[in-house]
Amino acid sequence: MSARALTGSRRWLALAGCLVWFAFTLFPLYWAAVTSFKSPIGVVGGATYIPFVDFEPTMTAWYELFSGQRGGFYDTFTASMIVGLSASVAATAIGSMAAYALVRFTFRFRLLSALIFVVVAFGGFLLGRNVMGLGQGIALIYAFIAALALAVISSRFRLPGPELGNKDIVFWFVSQRMFPPIVAAFALYLMYTEVGKLGFKLVDSYIGLTFAYIAFSLPIVIWLMRDFFEALPVEVEEAAMVDNVPTWRIFFGIVLPMSKPGLIATFMITLAFVWNEFLFALFLTNSKWQTLPILVAGQNSQRGDEWWSISAAALVAIIPMMVMAGVLSRLMRSGLLLGAIK
Amino acid sequence: MSQVRLEQITKSFGTVTVIPPLDLEIADREFVVLVGPSGCGKTTTLRMIAGLETASSGTVRIGDRDVTELRPGLRNCSMVFQNYALYPHMTVAENIGYGMKVRGTPKAEIDRAVTEAARVLNLGSYLARKPSALSGGQRQRVAIGRAIVRQPDVFLFDEPLSNLDAKLRVEMRTEIKLLHRRLQTTAVYVTHDQVEAMTMADRVVVMNQGRIEQAADPITLYEAPTNLFVAAFIGAPSMNFLEGRIERGESGLVFRGEGEVAVAIPAARSGPLAAVVDQPVVLGIRPEHTMTTDPDAPTVTLQVRDIEPLGPHTLALGKVGSASFTAQVPAHAPVAPENSISVPIDTSKMHFFLKSTGFAIR
Repeated sequence: MSARALTGSRRWLALAGCLVWFAFTLFPLYWAAVTSFKSPIGVVGGATYIPFVDFEPTMTAWYELFSGQRGGFYDTFTASMIVGLSASVAATAIGSMAAYALVRFTFRFRLLSALIFVVVAFGGFLLGRNVMGLGQGIALIYAFIAALALAVISSRFRLPGPELGNKDIVFWFVSQRMFPPIVAAFALYLMYTEVGKLGFKLVDSYIGLTFAYIAFSLPIVIWLMRDFFEALPVEVEEAAMVDNVPTWRIFFGIVLPMSKPGLIATFMITLAFVWNEFLFALFLTNSKWQTLPILVAGQNSQRGDEWWSISAAALVAIIPMMVMAGVLSRLMRSGLLLGAIK
Repeated sequence: MSQVRLEQITKSFGTVTVIPPLDLEIADREFVVLVGPSGCGKTTTLRMIAGLETASSGTVRIGDRDVTELRPGLRNCSMVFQNYALYPHMTVAENIGYGMKVRGTPKAEIDRAVTEAARVLNLGSYLARKPSALSGGQRQRVAIGRAIVRQPDVFLFDEPLSNLDAKLRVEMRTEIKLLHRRLQTTAVYVTHDQVEAMTMADRVVVMNQGRIEQAADPITLYEAPTNLFVAAFIGAPSMNFLEGRIERGESGLVFRGEGEVAVAIPAARSGPLAAVVDQPVVLGIRPEHTMTTDPDAPTVTLQVRDIEPLGPHTLALGKVGSASFTAQVPAHAPVAPENSISVPIDTSKMHFFLKSTGFAIR
């Protein structure tokens, strides 16, 4: 039954329910907004709700935030922007290509090849580290290259054992989001420091943080985009194939424009994830590439619970995402596929 | 020269064989229609010619080239799909010209080709529109336009009209035929609609379970089906079948079937039938051949269940013995459901099939 069909008191009940939920979701935002205009005394002295009536608003928190007294606000904001945008763009781009390949092409490989990869990667690392006495970073790189090469070469031969396909690859991608992020964050930190010892600075660097975010966003991007691509009519691509359009042009010229709403939605979700991500940023940055969530949380630890400045910083962190969502949702017109097929 | 030759071609998906070894030769400039019930392998065969499916074994030749291993784009075919498969984000003009643009054709030449295609297909005033702003028939014309600017060796049509309404389908049928007559390009056309097949084809290939049952011109298919499947598939309403035996009577051969059916076989038709005396056979007679005015024609008794007045004549549907039977009767004939009528049989139009193999007895 549609809500429009409701009549009389039922209609009012539905409206009241909606309003309660509206207030419930909006109140935290309102609370943060008013708190950011309170003085320290106004915050601790009991709950006050309405500016000029309950309490006298002050700009102190905002002034402190923008003047840089509360940590390098502008640098942090810029770092968040750069890392967030570039990681989301890269993850969406790479992930869509992977998802398209997984939807339209059949991959087959033996479980044995995958096992060879795992065994050589781990074994090679231990061997390099403990027997040959290599540094951790070098051992890691050598072992990885050897494992990849052997796995690729072994897949050329007809190996015994069960065969894996596209579904297994997708599961492997998605499985990376099944363990707690702290596991990955900690491991990444260790790896980055080791690679840092080789001379490539990854901790607190643009490359390091962006790579971590790309890697951690890819599973979601692939999963989402796979669904969008699967919904596309394959005949449109087949028509282009018969017309001798190269695969890359089919992808960029036909598939991507057709899945624009999906791309935008996926980009938005990735951006939201990267923008709000706390754990990786905490582990992998310390000053230059700190992101906004760290700044917001930092307001808590420096001089006790300074809710007024936390609120101000949190509001600033929300605004760019709201603007993004507003702009992008306009581009997410549905009905792009209309007319392609019956 | 762009004849198409399929030599011992097969297709299996995993362990399921969809097409057992199949041979088909399509002459240059010929319009061949592959027809059959759904799942008979006709679309798979077409897609193997296009290269969208690779043959499990066998050879596909277009002209003098062996294209078996070639990817679709290099086979110089054009394909029109059942669901149009237009590029939804491009205008009609861009849709038609996209392939040329990708191949690096100069813009002036693309414009000329697009304009010409639009003129032929009556799409001139829609060139700037997106496919979503077109009707089904217009969309399919855009798809055909996209196919003709390619100047292909072979046109491939995969049930292009089955998404259109009945009236438009008849119009487009003629349009495609005229187009073929003008362009003189070899065409392979897949449909499940036997009327479409009969009306459009130079040669109809009737397929069933991946095999070719008969490949012949429409009239031969209608008049001389080689087996029960083709006989039942071609013609609407479809042929009636009565099971029985050929027996030797006093004045020649007689077909005797269930429900006291006894049809004397004229001497002219007796030759081949003499060889199958006392074997189970099937007599086939089309509904349109049950209206003979010959007073000597043998008759069968039809238990009428329903009548379908069509205007020029009426169909009486019912049973002869236990077999379903449709007879064509004059429009004002006094026939009503639950009646029994005596239906004359035009003995010159009878078909006989061996029950064991299904093959026609000739």
